[in-house]
Amino acid sequence: MKKFLTTAFLFTLAAVAFAQVPGAPQKSLFEGQFVAHLSLAIAAAGCGLGQGKAVVAACEGVARNPQAAGAIRTTMIIGLALIEALVIYVLVAAFAIK
Amino acid sequence: MEHHASLLAQWLTHALGLAQHPWPGFAHGTPLSVLERYDHLLNAALAALLAMLITGLVRKNLARIPGGLQQTFEGVVGGLKEMINDNIAHHGEKYLPFIGTMALFVFFNNLFGLLPGLSPGTSNWNVTLGAALVVFGYYNFHGMREQGFVKYWAHFAGPIWWLAPLMFPLEILGLLSRILSHSLRLFGNIAGEHVVAGIFFGLMPILLPVPMMFLGLFFGLIQTFVFTMLATIYLSGAVSHEH
Repeated sequence: MKKFLTTAFLFTLAAVAFAQVPGAPQKSLFEGQFVAHLSLAIAAAGCGLGQGKAVVAACEGVARNPQAAGAIRTTMIIGLALIEALVIYVLVAAFAIK
Repeated sequence: MEHHASLLAQWLTHALGLAQHPWPGFAHGTPLSVLERYDHLLNAALAALLAMLITGLVRKNLARIPGGLQQTFEGVVGGLKEMINDNIAHHGEKYLPFIGTMALFVFFNNLFGLLPGLSPGTSNWNVTLGAALVVFGYYNFHGMREQGFVKYWAHFAGPIWWLAPLMFPLEILGLLSRILSHSLRLFGNIAGEHVVAGIFFGLMPILLPVPMMFLGLFFGLIQTFVFTMLATIYLSGAVSHEH
């Protein structure tokens, strides 16, 4: 499955790369808005996974020890903000690329 | 990034008859008045004024039996006090005025994105960078005041003396990159939210932006909390003595 997905991704990239108009000025695939959008998607995917793990751990912690809910919530929000900051950097970079 | 001045700045430009001219290297040479160019400062100043006005109003009408506004503010001040006491070990409450000011400034700025005709001052990096720099200066100043100049800078060198040449530059780099992360986090969140709300508004102006605006309210609150919390944690790291 992983091999299939990788192959499909590479083929998609190749299709985009080879589908250039002959007369148009040669422009690399990895510049401009395409790369901004792609990088934001990758960053968001990673951030989603990371934040999901963090929230799962926090939920388990609160369920096991409801009295610690306040401290866990604060720590979780700080952690989420720090994870989210990485995506925000990519977002700012995507703004800058335009 | 394209520049969209808030409706307030555009309206003020027309009402005051300000001259519009292109700004070099900005917004592709679109003619803008000084208010439209420095729209974020206008909005940030308005937010600060509004915060001062409301807190002044609460302060003037302090009552033994609190009304709605006073109760809200008592909750805010109580929450901030609790947060500071949780994080700063001794005499944390003397930092409450500064932390509270930053919290109110950031909060009112964030919420300006929800009002028609205004744009959030914090959706411009210059405003958040200013806020982060003020926080940076504040906690370094108080760190040096609490611990002494030499001791404050010595604790960046780490406990092991022969690792100091490696640790000190790294720690200083980490200290400086805090400004960047502290300001970019707030800016990116608010700007991103505002852009998405704008796109939703462009798709269908009625009803569709409402969930996004609700999210904006929520994010504005969360980002204020995160900004304030991080400021408190940085301050606590700077002023705490190691026993």
